[in-house]
Amino acid sequence: MNTNSNTYTVIYTTLVCVLVAAILAFVSQLLKPKQEANEKAETISQILTAAGFDEKAHWQEIGNAATIDFYKENLAEAYTVSAQGAQVKSLDKAKADIYSVSDLKVQNRAIKAGKDYEIPVYTFTNGVTVIPVYGAGLWGPVWGYLSFDASLDNIEGAYFDHESETPGLGGKIKDDPAFRAQFKGKNVNYADAKAFEIVKGGAPADKRNAIDAITGATMTSKGLDEAINNWLGAFKAYLQGRIQAKAAEAEAAAAAAAEAEAAETETQTAE
Amino acid sequence: MEYISLFVKSIFVDNMIFAYFLGMCSYLAVSKNVKTANGLGIAVIAVLLITLPVNYLLNKFVLQPGALSWLGPKFAEVDLSFLSFIIFIAVIAAIVQVVEMVVEKFLPSLYSSLGIFLPLIAVNCAILGASLFMQQREFANFGESVVYALGSGIGWYLAIVALAAIREKLAYSNVPAGLKGIGITFITVGLMGIAFMAFMGISI
Amino acid sequence: MNQKMKETILNPILKGNPITVLVLGICSSLAVTVEMKGALVMALSVTLVTGLSSLICSLLRKTIPNRVRIIIQLVVVALMVILVDQLLKSFEGTYPIDKQLSVYIGLIITNCIVMGRIEAFALGNKPIPSLLDGLANGVGYGLILIIVAFFRELLGSGTLFGIPVLAKLGYVNNGLMILPPMALILIGCIIWVQRSIQKDLQEK
Repeated sequence: MNTNSNTYTVIYTTLVCVLVAAILAFVSQLLKPKQEANEKAETISQILTAAGFDEKAHWQEIGNAATIDFYKENLAEAYTVSAQGAQVKSLDKAKADIYSVSDLKVQNRAIKAGKDYEIPVYTFTNGVTVIPVYGAGLWGPVWGYLSFDASLDNIEGAYFDHESETPGLGGKIKDDPAFRAQFKGKNVNYADAKAFEIVKGGAPADKRNAIDAITGATMTSKGLDEAINNWLGAFKAYLQGRIQAKAAEAEAAAAAAAEAEAAETETQTAE
Repeated sequence: MEYISLFVKSIFVDNMIFAYFLGMCSYLAVSKNVKTANGLGIAVIAVLLITLPVNYLLNKFVLQPGALSWLGPKFAEVDLSFLSFIIFIAVIAAIVQVVEMVVEKFLPSLYSSLGIFLPLIAVNCAILGASLFMQQREFANFGESVVYALGSGIGWYLAIVALAAIREKLAYSNVPAGLKGIGITFITVGLMGIAFMAFMGISI
Repeated sequence: MNQKMKETILNPILKGNPITVLVLGICSSLAVTVEMKGALVMALSVTLVTGLSSLICSLLRKTIPNRVRIIIQLVVVALMVILVDQLLKSFEGTYPIDKQLSVYIGLIITNCIVMGRIEAFALGNKPIPSLLDGLANGVGYGLILIIVAFFRELLGSGTLFGIPVLAKLGYVNNGLMILPPMALILIGCIIWVQRSIQKDLQEK
């Protein structure tokens, strides 16, 4: 057979392309539920790691089902918030509903375009609140989770992941526990030009909202810095709102206490 | 203005060779003299200029999640992004092959001077890298993808011509026998890479 | 095993090493040699992919039309890599392995060694020698990768496989070692050593 004729070439190429596309589409459809289940458990384990419940390796050890059970047991509430900081809808706790990485990607596009967005917040029974961040690293997307303690001011922990950063350089945002550990005890300062900063060549020790970048991974560090700041900006209304509400609550409680005390002194004087 | 800054940035700050170290194999292998380097550089610019806009359109109207909504609301949910790798590669290989045939037919003299280096472009990671960067950075419009293709192509071209010029001079240098040829070239590129770090982190 | 088979296996590891002699697969050898672990994972996967894709393309060699061979080869390679990725992603036990590997998927497909060995060997040889040639080239590539990664991790981070080695001796990490240009310079040095021993490889 003449393998160089035009007809043969066209038919052969078409056949190969259709076959390959069909195989890929079939496999991707067939395996999608399993892959999504794995991805969901992975995301939940990342949220739990950021919240400071245990190290990442622990969740891998106990397996998907146990991780999801732990999440359900310790979750106080998960819901989405809007640009105005209002709660939009709650995520079903019984089903362990979360926002997947591709959901974050969609919202990231909306945030950057200045459109309306709806981003998830996870609160846990121990008072920790976890928010996601998403952005572009050097080769592909980077994302992660930041957790705040009950004051919503101090950062409790963080966990980051990436699609294809260079192992040993940009990949350290995930693999290097020392990088993540820097986040603990820092806070977010919306009054600064950047609410949070990843500083190349070492962060000043007295700066409470900055950490050191990774040596040799300028672009990944920069991308993560942008991701954190974009998303902290998106959560600003919500976080500030909750801090204010808390302050107002505390004030009201203090006022009530003062009133009660005053009433008590009054009765004492009357006697 | 945005186009100019993207253009300058993609030549120097985001140089395919010295910032991302993409397309190294043909860069090292085909830089023995300025003439062939010149030919390969121009071919790379041409292929980038065709593949990147084509892949941009494919990404925008076929591959992205929700990209198929122009076919009707039923298709809005379809996400073909798992095919993007294979489609980008197929487009690049197809266009390299078409460019090869066109050049062979209409510019036989250029074809013979380029020789085997034309088909080699298909496996040049700089080309695929540019398409993946385009997808990841979510370029706002068609114009940006053209400007980016031109800029990164010119960046690659300048890098290979510079190296070829150095190598032509190196031929007269007294290099240790074991390092002659490709050995000293690796070290030269390493030093050029260190020098190019001066551009790193500059934002335009 | 006859003489020819032996040569097919030994040649790519020493005399025809894909990195130091054929100058193939440079991009990935710069990217994955920052640490030993990554280099080892990449070496294993490239060995497997080169072997299998050489085998498949050799089986298909009589049917592939010459004019579209680049597309067909790349599509076969990409299909295989993506399939393995999808399968590993689907099972709870293998999911963590896939998380480790997914970083390399793009680098494996665009690795010139895979395509280079198909073009140069598999298209003209029977399946079994093609498989051996692919595997041997993967090993030769992996060998250089591991040597480079050894020096980069040891001198750049003071560790080996993530275990601190030099820290106790008061060694201050050399930040330059973890940047890609140093990989080029290290490969240059390996070429120097290799060609000083095998004098017939020296260029004039």
